[in-house]
Amino acid sequence: MPGLQRPPAEIVLHPARLTALAILALVCGSLLGLAGAGSGAATPAPLGPYLQHIAASAAVQAGLSTLLSLPVGTALALALLRRRFPGRDLLLALLASAAVAPTIVIAFGIVAIYGRSGLLGTLSGSLGLQAPSIYGLHGIVLAHLVMNAPLVARALLHAFEREPGERLRLAAALGFSAVDCFRHLDWPLIRREAPALAVLVFLLCFTSFAIVLALGGGPANATLEVAIYEAVRFEADFTRAAALAALQLALCLGLAAGLAALTPPIRDEAAADRQASRPDAGALRGPDGFVLLLSIALIAPPLLSVASGLAALPLLASAEVARAAATSAVIAAGAGLAACLLALLLASAARSSPRGTRLPDLAAFAMLGLPPFAFVAGLYALLRGLADPALLGLGLVPLVNALMALPFAYRLLWPVLATGAARYGRLADSLGLQGWNRLVLVEWPALRGALGAAFAFAAALSLGDFGVVALFGGGDLTTLPYLLANRLGAYRTDEAGALALLLVLSAGCLAWLAQRWSRRHA
Amino acid sequence: MLEIERLALHYPDFTAQYDLTVPAGALCAVIGPSGGGKTTLLHAIAGFERPSAGRLRFAGQDLLPLPPAARPASILFQDHNLFPHLTAAQNVALGLKPSLRLDAGERDRVAAALAEVGLADLAARFPAELSGGQRQRVAIARALLRGKPLMLLDEPFGALDPGLRRDMIGRVDALRRAHGLTVLMTLHTPEDAADTADLFAFVAEGRVQSCGHWTRLIAEDGPEPVRRFLGL
Repeated sequence: MPGLQRPPAEIVLHPARLTALAILALVCGSLLGLAGAGSGAATPAPLGPYLQHIAASAAVQAGLSTLLSLPVGTALALALLRRRFPGRDLLLALLASAAVAPTIVIAFGIVAIYGRSGLLGTLSGSLGLQAPSIYGLHGIVLAHLVMNAPLVARALLHAFEREPGERLRLAAALGFSAVDCFRHLDWPLIRREAPALAVLVFLLCFTSFAIVLALGGGPANATLEVAIYEAVRFEADFTRAAALAALQLALCLGLAAGLAALTPPIRDEAAADRQASRPDAGALRGPDGFVLLLSIALIAPPLLSVASGLAALPLLASAEVARAAATSAVIAAGAGLAACLLALLLASAARSSPRGTRLPDLAAFAMLGLPPFAFVAGLYALLRGLADPALLGLGLVPLVNALMALPFAYRLLWPVLATGAARYGRLADSLGLQGWNRLVLVEWPALRGALGAAFAFAAALSLGDFGVVALFGGGDLTTLPYLLANRLGAYRTDEAGALALLLVLSAGCLAWLAQRWSRRHA
Repeated sequence: MLEIERLALHYPDFTAQYDLTVPAGALCAVIGPSGGGKTTLLHAIAGFERPSAGRLRFAGQDLLPLPPAARPASILFQDHNLFPHLTAAQNVALGLKPSLRLDAGERDRVAAALAEVGLADLAARFPAELSGGQRQRVAIARALLRGKPLMLLDEPFGALDPGLRRDMIGRVDALRRAHGLTVLMTLHTPEDAADTADLFAFVAEGRVQSCGHWTRLIAEDGPEPVRRFLGL
């Protein structure tokens, strides 16, 4: 049907395509910059067995984390869907905080609860028992579970909330049992959402950095990401870092592309009125209560352990901390805005092809596979002659943080624009509403809730980011997580605890504000 | 007979109190402005809303203590009456057994119900492969199969063409006569049911303000709010 095809210039110049190409050019440029900064002589020889080892151990670790996070997150989402209880909103905020809390804070909390001198260690010590060490594979998997089960639960809850309320009323009218509800209401949706969530969780764990570094307990559990960090930071072997980074990127993108094929296409999710209650709410009170208590016991202690920093908060009243907080805030705000802008540009491809397109997807998910510090190091190597290093860092860090948040922001915005295109696309086309006008007049009302969530997520992620700053931090680029790592390294635990508390509270506030904003503009 | 007496519902921004009597086997069209409480009335009868006071009886039985599935009513919405992952036949079969484990006799009843709404050939199709009118007929087939004496239709044909809309109302009318059903149906276009409905209930501001036959409502001396609503 030649009449339906757009002229070639329009396809190439589509903002989504241009943005995607620019991001991919940055990615390639940074890899080349990194490789070019090396000695020039490639050193792939010693990589063989070691590479296999770290790739395999990262895969096992990520696989286990995913296998645990998905069912736990799903059970938690279903329990939260069925139950209404005082404190439910608080629990949701706690889940949001766990999902966006700085990884270094989660590692800190896990040690505070499960470490030898932590809560459990002290308890079992007083009983004359020797608690097993938290360092190793189980520690990593536990920390990943604490972070990703809430992520899965919240993503599924969002998806359930978009389902039409008529289906719940229908289920009630037809006398569905709990099993019927699961089979006809829950399972189709879980099957639709699970592949994408599994890929996301797997990639997050596969490329995990701070947690593996803090809880890995040595090279046995090193991941590619850690190996790249070591190559850049300690061995200054940039060629090797570039090769490892390219390999990780290829592995992750290949996996994402392969598993994305399992995801059924999004159907039009018409306006849901959320007053309908679940017909199976009465039947599963016991199991749901069990799931909720277990989840709270799993997720809350590491997060709440930062409350022990409360007493040390006055220690933070210093010019250094204030400056770091200001730097963090500026970077976080910049990252939030940049993530929203990039995600919006990429997702605008949904207008013309609601089923998904290759190039914007690729660009949105590229940073899930590429270690952020390798990306920054490459760009830095490429650009260092052109600008003042400190200034360069201040520009690059928000950009990298935005790119790290892009997969999430993109996933938030894409369905909104795709649904909008399915419902109003023809109307907008027939009225000649394109570009900016279409955004303001047609899409904005539906978009602003998702944009608020995307901004908060990117800002929270950036606020807690340690990976990039670990490489370039210090001096003018001292952020709160950098200070936290610094204090932890100097065994100034009181101050570290207070900083961790500050970070979790900030992330929690952002998540809570985003939830209120989304609800008001739903 | 369906008897509704001072059935009261309270929301932060809306209060309703309904009085209405519909004889057994009658077709009652519920009309009125948007937001006036038509859907709330149907949802209260079906058991999706909790009235704070009043009486709701059908054939002498008090419905208020019953959960939705135990009430003698089937309900059809304007959209989303079918589960998208199930075929037309499976969607109908939900009315018999949500587990979908049917024996041969039950499968025959599903086929018969589909045939009764003229969809015998489309049993294996998924909702996405059916037209809007066909989807609603699948939902009607399921309602028939459940054998509940009270059928509640909430704006079920609002999205269909005028001709098709009247055709569907005609089908509902024929089915209620064949099965002895009592039908309540909300309508955006009252004249569609002018010839079929025994009774029109005009609902506005959370109350049944007038109730009577079409010819009485549109008469010169008919109720003023109804005449204004109809643009007479």
